[in-house]
This record gives sequence, structure tokens and C-alpha cells, in this order.
Amino acid sequence: MNLMKASLGLRIYFWVVVAYMIFPVLIVIPVSFSSSEFLRFPPQDISARWYMAYFNDPVWISATVTSFRVAVLSTLISTTVGTMAALAISRAPHRSQTPLTYAATVPILIPHIFIALGVLILALRLGLTDSEITLALAHAAVAMPFVVLITSAAIRQIDPTIERAARVLGADPFRAFRVATLPPLIPAIVAAAIFAFFVSFDELIIAQFLMKGSETLPMRIWADLRLDISPVVAAVSGLLIVVTTLAMMIAEILRRRTVRTLAP
Amino acid sequence: MNKLLLGAAASVMLAQPVLAQDKVLTIAGSGGVVKEISERVFLPAFEEATGWSTKFVAAESNILLEVRTMVASGQMLYDAMEVSASAYPQAVREGLLEPIDYKLLDPNNELPDKAKKEFGVVAASYSTVPVQRLDKNPEGRKMESWSDFWDVEAFPGPRSLKQQPEYNLEFALLADGVALDDLYDVLGTEEGVDRAFDKLDELKPHIPVWWTSGAQSVQLLSDGEVFYSTTYNGRVGKLQESGIDVEIMWNGGALHTSHVGIPKGAPNYEAAHEWVRVRTMRPDLEAEYVKHLPYPNFAPGLFDAMTEEQAKTMPTYPANADLQFVANEEFWADNIERIRERFDEWLLE
Amino acid sequence: MSARSYLWLFLPALALLLLFILAPAADLLRASMFDPDFTTEHFARLVTRGVYIDVMLRTIRVSLIVAVCCTIIGYPIAYFINLQPRSRQTILLFLILIPMWMSILIRTFAWIVVLGRDGLLNEALAAVGLIDEPVRMLFTSGAVLAAMVQILLPIQILTCYAAMTEIDFDLIRAARVLGAKPRQALMRVFLPLSLDGTITGLVIVFMLSMGFFITPALLGGRQDTMIANLIEFQVQRLNWSFAAALGLVLLLLTIVMIVLLRGLGRMAARRILKAGL
Repeated sequence: MNLMKASLGLRIYFWVVVAYMIFPVLIVIPVSFSSSEFLRFPPQDISARWYMAYFNDPVWISATVTSFRVAVLSTLISTTVGTMAALAISRAPHRSQTPLTYAATVPILIPHIFIALGVLILALRLGLTDSEITLALAHAAVAMPFVVLITSAAIRQIDPTIERAARVLGADPFRAFRVATLPPLIPAIVAAAIFAFFVSFDELIIAQFLMKGSETLPMRIWADLRLDISPVVAAVSGLLIVVTTLAMMIAEILRRRTVRTLAP
Repeated sequence: MNKLLLGAAASVMLAQPVLAQDKVLTIAGSGGVVKEISERVFLPAFEEATGWSTKFVAAESNILLEVRTMVASGQMLYDAMEVSASAYPQAVREGLLEPIDYKLLDPNNELPDKAKKEFGVVAASYSTVPVQRLDKNPEGRKMESWSDFWDVEAFPGPRSLKQQPEYNLEFALLADGVALDDLYDVLGTEEGVDRAFDKLDELKPHIPVWWTSGAQSVQLLSDGEVFYSTTYNGRVGKLQESGIDVEIMWNGGALHTSHVGIPKGAPNYEAAHEWVRVRTMRPDLEAEYVKHLPYPNFAPGLFDAMTEEQAKTMPTYPANADLQFVANEEFWADNIERIRERFDEWLLE
Repeated sequence: MSARSYLWLFLPALALLLLFILAPAADLLRASMFDPDFTTEHFARLVTRGVYIDVMLRTIRVSLIVAVCCTIIGYPIAYFINLQPRSRQTILLFLILIPMWMSILIRTFAWIVVLGRDGLLNEALAAVGLIDEPVRMLFTSGAVLAAMVQILLPIQILTCYAAMTEIDFDLIRAARVLGAKPRQALMRVFLPLSLDGTITGLVIVFMLSMGFFITPALLGGRQDTMIANLIEFQVQRLNWSFAAALGLVLLLLTIVMIVLLRGLGRMAARRILKAGL
């Protein structure tokens, strides 16, 4: 057994777990091409009805766009703020580290409905209801704990002496941070950012309380729940998967091409 | 027809004093399909009558909490709102609604009394009804009553009810032989509640899942996960159209009404009345609306504006309404706390 | 540079917390104890009516099982991804994240398709003659677990992975050179270094599970109620004070559990280390 190479057993295990995780895709995509009014598997026929319904309905499209916009903004905020907080915590005196971490974790522990109400009261007072920025900030507050937790775990792995060395050698604090501390943190920050993105992208309750006019995607998806689940929801899921897969593939091709042109 | 014209004329006259450019009426109601159809049917009519523009806000189950917060902060964002059957008594008790001015709304007294509440006008009627998968029934048999629903020998197969005590206790009592008219007298006593729970005990092992949203109940029937389930009458027609052999059993269904009301401190109280009028008193619009969502109100002459075939699918069609009981939302508002706790404990047993 | 001068980095986070979290948290505390005068009635009701404690304990149990399952299943996956060349790592991580683009509603439906009465699994079992009657798999605690683990697994994998990327494989090589067996090298070098991130993932999954209610409501049976369901009902009834009491107790229990989990995680790690010798 070579530790640096995955054994056959581990390889098989990996693909079994991946199958368990993504099998819904294999059900959702066929279902989204059915013309039935209800979600049915296997589909009785093939039609683009629900995709047309999606593209012909400005509400669905604008909901998707709004959700993306809010999620991206909220990800930028929470990742920056959360990483900064994690750095601050790691450098705080040892006895105050745990309390600070818990303080930053509280938002996950409060049921969203309470946060939603608090945000509504705040927004009413400031006249900021139906503002995507308010929503993005609120989502950032909810996502921040994940960022703090994930980046903290990575920071603890990093040797602070490197940054100190850089400082001794004359680098200013920002440069020392950028050169010495930041690069090894990138994977954790990216992981945290992905996380923060989905926290916002899937969040329903705060959005419902705050958005009085435009809708987010979860608001649109859950609006039908009282009556029935529209197969448009399947079509949206299918679209998001196809679009992100394509984007990923293009990015990968571009990256390979760059690597090739850069190679001597 | 004359009446219709008169109504339209009256509404234009009513709208005159408040008519102004760039005025916006904000209406809160259910999202999704309900919002879509409302925007297509009612909003243009209101805009035409008043010259105002409109904004329809999709508000979901927490709307009362939202409105209470707005009332407390003195900043009401809505001019009119949908008030569901169970929310109405609560909204009234919490003082979240303005009284309806019937002199303004309905000077000619066209609306029937059952449509007129102090703080809201009936905008929709719907039923919680048992639905059966005919294809899963034993050869040549069909459920006719709640006793059949409880009869797991004659009608074997999984069933579902909504995960709440409301109306299920009534259904249990009906299955136990209580008459429609005596329901709330029986349920008003401690023994009556015991009796309902005892009856529910019988069915408990045959209910693999208790549904929590309307969509879920429809999906359960569609997938064949359960053969018999309560659901709202609204989407059964669509289930049938998509080839699922289901049928509503009106006998013993619970009839509810949801309302359109004006929240306390609404910025445009008078214009809101015009909206209430468009939403509840226009049979032409309502007939179009119920084509998509069979939740009729008491717009005068509504049934005349429908085909007989369509009328028969409405929960308020006389032949259907006579078989059902009117759900007593006041009773539930008074008693839900303790009964719900008991119900939740009972579920976990 | 002194430690104190870094604390300004915490200020933006503090601002977000103050603006969006402090007021709701304070309201939680106030509403649960004042209605409108000071009262312990809500906590008394919570304790004396068995259902609330019962459901809390069930919620904790489910969340624990989900968190442990995600950790056990996810750790080797993160490890595997970490062994791949960088470019392939990105693709594999992307694969892991695909399900997150699907609405939870739809993922729940996929489970119904598989586990249902006329579902794929039942049909497959019947086809090979293992069963005559459909087996009840849906509307069981098992179905809830399978679905919750599936939903939360990407989070655990991502967190573990982020913690592992910084581990220097030279250390493992060194251990091997110094005569450690592969298992030993893994247990004594790799595992301790990745432990912090793994426990963080476990805690995150646990916290998220505590607030779940849609999946259990759609896939579970009558005994799979979660505390969030009960809070939701009280909120809809506008019983703000009682809902707050429930929320507060949920918050406190979760914190207690996190402290326990972190402690236990470290203890278990020490055990593994010793066994690895």
C-alpha cells in the first residue's frame, strides 16, 4: 500500500459514494423533460414544456438572477469579513479565542425565523425593505460562522513564524500577510466561499420577510408548495446543473490551454 | 348584464376621489400559481378602474407575524392582504385588521351575508376533502363516507391525513357516527375530544405518513404512496387530467373560507376597498379565476357565469356544500394550543 | 506587532453580528422571559409537557447520527480527492458539489422515486424475487437519515478537504522512511493533522441538522418530528414568547453538544493514536 496513491478499494469506495450523492440528478433530468403537470418518474413522454415555461416566465428568470446576484455579493462580504475574523481570533490571546469563536458561531444556532424578524424590524426602521443589499448583508451574517470555522481550522495549521520572518526581513504587515499567510489559506477560503454561496442561494425565510416585490429563487420554488410542486422546479435544477457543468468544463479547457501555451 | 355594468360604473365612481397618477396599491397574498392568476385576472381590472398601479407581494405562512411587526413599528407596507381561514380569528384578536366599510364597498347590499365579515370579505372557499384512488379500490367498491375511510378491511391500503388535529378530529367523529350538525357540540366537550382521539387510534397504524403541505398530499396520491388521503380540492382536477384515477368524496369534507382584509394602518384604506370589490364582487373575473383555481367566492351571480359541468367541481356548489360541514375556525382558535400538544404527543407514542 | 493590534480585524464581523444577530438574540432572550412581565411559565410548559423535551432529544439524536455518518463517509472521500493531482481535485470537488444546485424539494422527490412503494428499489427487489409485497422504506427514520446525510455530505467533505490540503505529504514520506508502516504513518501523522478540520466539519453538520425540518417532514414518519417543526407551529400561532423559549433551549443545547463533541473528538483521536502505535 502506497499512501500517496489511492488504493483500488478507496477508488471504488469514492465512486460508490459519488453515485449515492448524485443519483438524484439521474432522476431529476428525465423528470424535467416530462410534460406531466406533476413530478412523475419515469416520465411518460419527452417534452421541453417545463423548460419553455421557465424561459417564458420573467418571474422565474428574474428570481434566478436575483438569487445569483445576492449570493455573489453575500459571498464576497462573508468570506472577507469571516476570514478577517478568523485571523483576529487566531492572534487573540489564547483564553479569549474560544469565546470569540462562539460569538462568531451564534448565527447558525438561532432559528432563521428570529433573524428574519430582526432584519425586518431593522429594515422597516431604515426604510430598507426590498433591498438586495440588505438581504445580502443578512445572508452574509448567517454565512459568516461557516467561514470563520473553516478558515480557523486552516489557520491553526499554518506556521506563524513564516509571517514573522517576512516581517523581520522588512515586509510591511499587509505584504507579509499576502505573501506568507494567505497562499496556504486559499483552499480553505474557497471552500468557505462555496459554502457561503449556497447558504445564501438556498435561504428562504429571511428573503421572504425582506423582499417585498422582487423574489428570490427559493421564494419562487417554495411558493407553490401549498398547491403542488411544479415540474419547473425540476427544470430549474436541471438547468443549473447543466450550466454550471458547462462553465466548469470551459474553465478547465481554458486552463489547460493556458498551461500548454505557457509551457516551453 | 345590467348589474355588471352598474357595478362597473359604481366602481369607477367610487374610484374617482382617489384616482391619481403613480399611486401604487400593495397587495399581499399567496405566491406561485395564485399570484400568477391574480396578476392576470384581477390586477388589470383594478388598474383599469382606478388608474393606479399595483404590486402583488408573495407572502407565505408567516404573513401574520410580518403584519404584526409592521403594525407594531407603525409602518404598514401592505394595503390589502389575503387572510386565510385559520388566520382570520387570530388576526382579529391581535387587532391586525381594519374593519371593512360596507357602505363604501357594497352600498347596494349585493353580497350575501356569509361573505361579509367584520374585518374581511370572503375571497375564496376551499375544502379539505378525502380523495380516493379509484384504481386502488377493491373491485366494484367505492368509498362513500368517513366510515369507509376508516374501514381498513373493506378498503385496505395506506392512507394519509394532514399532520395537525384541526378537522381530523371532526373527520374521526363523523366516522364514529356523529351527525354533521352536532360536530362542534361534541368536540366542545372533553369527552368529545377523547372520543375523536380514540377513533384516530384505530387508523393510526394505517397512516404511514402525515402530510404537511398541500403539494405533498397531491404528490402522495399521484405516486401511489397512499391510496386515500385528505387534500385541498384545488388540484384534484389537474391530477385527473394527468391520468391519475382519483375522485373527491365531498361527503363529510370541511369547508373553509379565506378572506381579503385591510391591515391596520394601511396607507390607502379607500383604494383598498376598491381592490376588495374587484377581488370579491366581480363574477366575470371570478369565473375566469376559478377556471384555473377552483376556489370560488360569493361574487353575486358567479354560478351563472360558469358552465354546469364546471360548477359541479366547486366546493360551494349546493350539492357539494350540503354534504360538508363549515369548519369552525373560532373553535380551533380557542382550543388549538392544548389539542395540538396532545396531538403531537399522540403522534410520538 | 502585538496580538491586540490584530483585533481590529474582528470589527467588520462584529458589525455584522451587532446589526443582524444581536437584536434577534436579545429578543429571543427577552421574549422567552417577559410576556410582558417576567415569567418562567414558558420554560415550565416546555419542561412539563413531555413532547418538547422528547422532540429535542430526538432532534439531537438524529443530528448526532447524521454528523457521525457524514464524518465517517466523508473523511476517506476528502482524503482520496487530496491524493489526486491538483487539476483533477478541482473536477472531483465540482462533482461533489453538483447536488447542491438541486432544490431540496427535488432531491426529496428523488428519494421518493427510489424508496417508494412502487419505487425503483422495491421493483428491483421484487424482480429478483426477494420480496412479494413492497417493503416500507419511505416514511421511516432510515429514509430521513439517508437523505440528510446525502444533503450534508458535501459540506463535510469540503471542510475535511480544506483542512487536508495544507498537510505536507513529505511528513508522511519522512515517517515512512523512518520505518513507519503505512497504517502507522496515516494514523500518527496524517490523521492528527487533519483532525481539527474534521471535527469542525462534524460540528457544522451537527448544527445544520439541528435546524432541519423539511426533509424529515417529507420523508419521515409520524415520529420523525424535529424541534424546528414545533417552533414553526408556535411562530405561526404568534406565540412568540413560547417559540423564543424553544429557540433559546435549542441554542443552549446545541452549544452544550458542540463543547461535548469537540472534547469527545479530541479524546477519540487520542485513542486512535494510541491504537495506531
